[in-house]
Amino acid sequence: MTAVILAAVVGALFALGTFLLLRRDLIRVVWGLAIISQAANVYLLAMGGLADASADSVPILAGHGEHVPQTADPLVQALVLTAIVIGFGMTAFALVLSYRVYEEHDTLDVSELGDRDR
Amino acid sequence: MTAGIEPTAPLAAVPGGSESGLVIAPMLVVLVAAVGSLLLGRWPRLRIGVSLAGGAAYAAVVAAIDWYVVLAPDAPGVATYQVGDWPAPFGITLVVDGLSAFMLTMVAILGIASLVFSTRVLPEIDRRSYYFPLFHFLALGVTGAFLTGDLFNLFVWFEVMLMASYIFVAYYGGPQHTRAAFWYVALNLLASAVFLLGVGGIYATTGTLNMADLAQRLADPGAYGLDPTPVVGLFALLLSVFAIKSGLVPFQFWIPTAYRAAPPQISALLAGATKKVGIYAIIRLSFTVLADADVPVELAVPGVGTVIAGDSPLAFVGAALFVMAAASILVGGIGAVGRDSIEGVLAYSSIGQVGFIAVPVAIAATTGSAELRHFAVVAALVYALNHTLAKGLLFLAVGAIRSATGTSRLSDLGGLAGRSPPLAIGFFVGSLALVGIPPLSGFFGKFLVFDAAARAESAPLLVLLLVGSLLTIAYTTRTWNRSFWGARTDAVEEASVDVVQVGVVLVLATAIVAVGIGFEPVYEFADAAASAALDGEAYVDAVDPLEPDELETEGGEH
Repeated sequence: MTAVILAAVVGALFALGTFLLLRRDLIRVVWGLAIISQAANVYLLAMGGLADASADSVPILAGHGEHVPQTADPLVQALVLTAIVIGFGMTAFALVLSYRVYEEHDTLDVSELGDRDR
Repeated sequence: MTAGIEPTAPLAAVPGGSESGLVIAPMLVVLVAAVGSLLLGRWPRLRIGVSLAGGAAYAAVVAAIDWYVVLAPDAPGVATYQVGDWPAPFGITLVVDGLSAFMLTMVAILGIASLVFSTRVLPEIDRRSYYFPLFHFLALGVTGAFLTGDLFNLFVWFEVMLMASYIFVAYYGGPQHTRAAFWYVALNLLASAVFLLGVGGIYATTGTLNMADLAQRLADPGAYGLDPTPVVGLFALLLSVFAIKSGLVPFQFWIPTAYRAAPPQISALLAGATKKVGIYAIIRLSFTVLADADVPVELAVPGVGTVIAGDSPLAFVGAALFVMAAASILVGGIGAVGRDSIEGVLAYSSIGQVGFIAVPVAIAATTGSAELRHFAVVAALVYALNHTLAKGLLFLAVGAIRSATGTSRLSDLGGLAGRSPPLAIGFFVGSLALVGIPPLSGFFGKFLVFDAAARAESAPLLVLLLVGSLLTIAYTTRTWNRSFWGARTDAVEEASVDVVQVGVVLVLATAIVAVGIGFEPVYEFADAAASAALDGEAYVDAVDPLEPDELETEGGEH
């Protein structure tokens, strides 16, 4: 059941992100990118598996005795953490850049940006 | 003793362990250069000195890697560095083999040229900006991508490289630069999300991200109890990301605007170095990781029959690359003929030339013969080397033209040949190398690619390559005629050519001639690189990921 809900959530986030990405307003485009990268993060977490852990996926615990309890996969947590940090930095950069675009072009409308330097 | 409690010391067991320090050296050198130049912002001269010293040290370290790991008579061929002494696949692995070394060498040569050139084009005020630190961070990202042995780290290094390149595309800060940078950033953020999807899916399917471990598991999925079929689709996702980085059609649309917006010496790096990261990733993942994968692939199109069939994901990779390469050659070549600025011509040409690199890779992916596969990869690498040198030279020449005349529009140029013969000679050599005239490096690149297509006995491919070559002749001739011959325009008449800039262009021209004349050692290096790319077993042995039974019981002992 959890898997179905997660899949639906990831799908909905991607749909929303794609929708925003196709807007004419640059800020919405940045929002769309942020949401898509968050969707990728949720997907990445789900890919780590919500099932039982084993000695393969959690070598640290294997060293502390025979028994490996149920855990989330720590590797994907580390991956997602890295991806979040990178995504955060990139979103901030994209926002600053869109402000600069606004300064240079006096508009955030994509269709007007395109016409300028033809 | 288990892997979890105390990190073991697998380095002694790794072949070529004594070279392990060399593996991490280029990254350390370039990181020190980046941080050093960042701290020296108040002293522009010192900053430039540190930057140049960093570039020289980088080249020296890469040369040492080339010799001690790949070319020396008793060289191990592969060297690894296990970060923190953790055994693969738990730790982060850095690997250098012939393929990485070949790529690093190209980046080192072009990087130094671009760095020296940079010191001459930046006005005094810009020398206080973050140009030089960013230059080194770009090099750091590229180096990391070539050295990493782990898919997720490949993603991270891509991001490091891209972050610097975003800023360079926006560097001049005018309307068209910010616009180009915004779309470049947006596209790459989307690509990063797709990259994560592919990486996450591969981890969920195979339980590992270490490339050597991945190769080992995919070659024998039964022993690890996994179903490798989804890897084909997931690799298709990754392939689209790498195609974006290398600018293959249909992912080429960002290239012309971004290359025109970035400073020319950076465009040289974007075309010569970061593009090669995409090519490298395709070659590495296709041949080192997936070549031995035990996955039957079959795709039938109604009315046509079976179009893709094979026993590894390579069948799919090859078919996709054929289509993308053919489209790249045509789109790039036809696009380049009609441009009105030299940068525009070179940017489109870059799309076409990457198609020439992708064709032999596609041949290698589809062929059943091990010999032809090896030969085709050599052809791709030699062509990539030629593209790096020639396109780097041409972009730097445009930089020299632009800082001398203030323009690079073909309509505003003319008669440059009489104004600066050395610059004209450099540009001419670069153009001829793109076309493929002997005795330049381009001749062997083109010759090997044609030879590979001939050995694959594919007439359509030969026609495609011929059309692409004719288009190359068309646009290089047109660019040459309109900017270097004819009556001098006002801009050219008043031009003041910088000696050092032209010197850098001439040095690269000399390198192109040298590669062409002394082709034997270059071929040997490319040959070693292709052997390394195709020898997944040696790669796996060097990284030495743990086997399933070791994973279950005593992690670190072997």
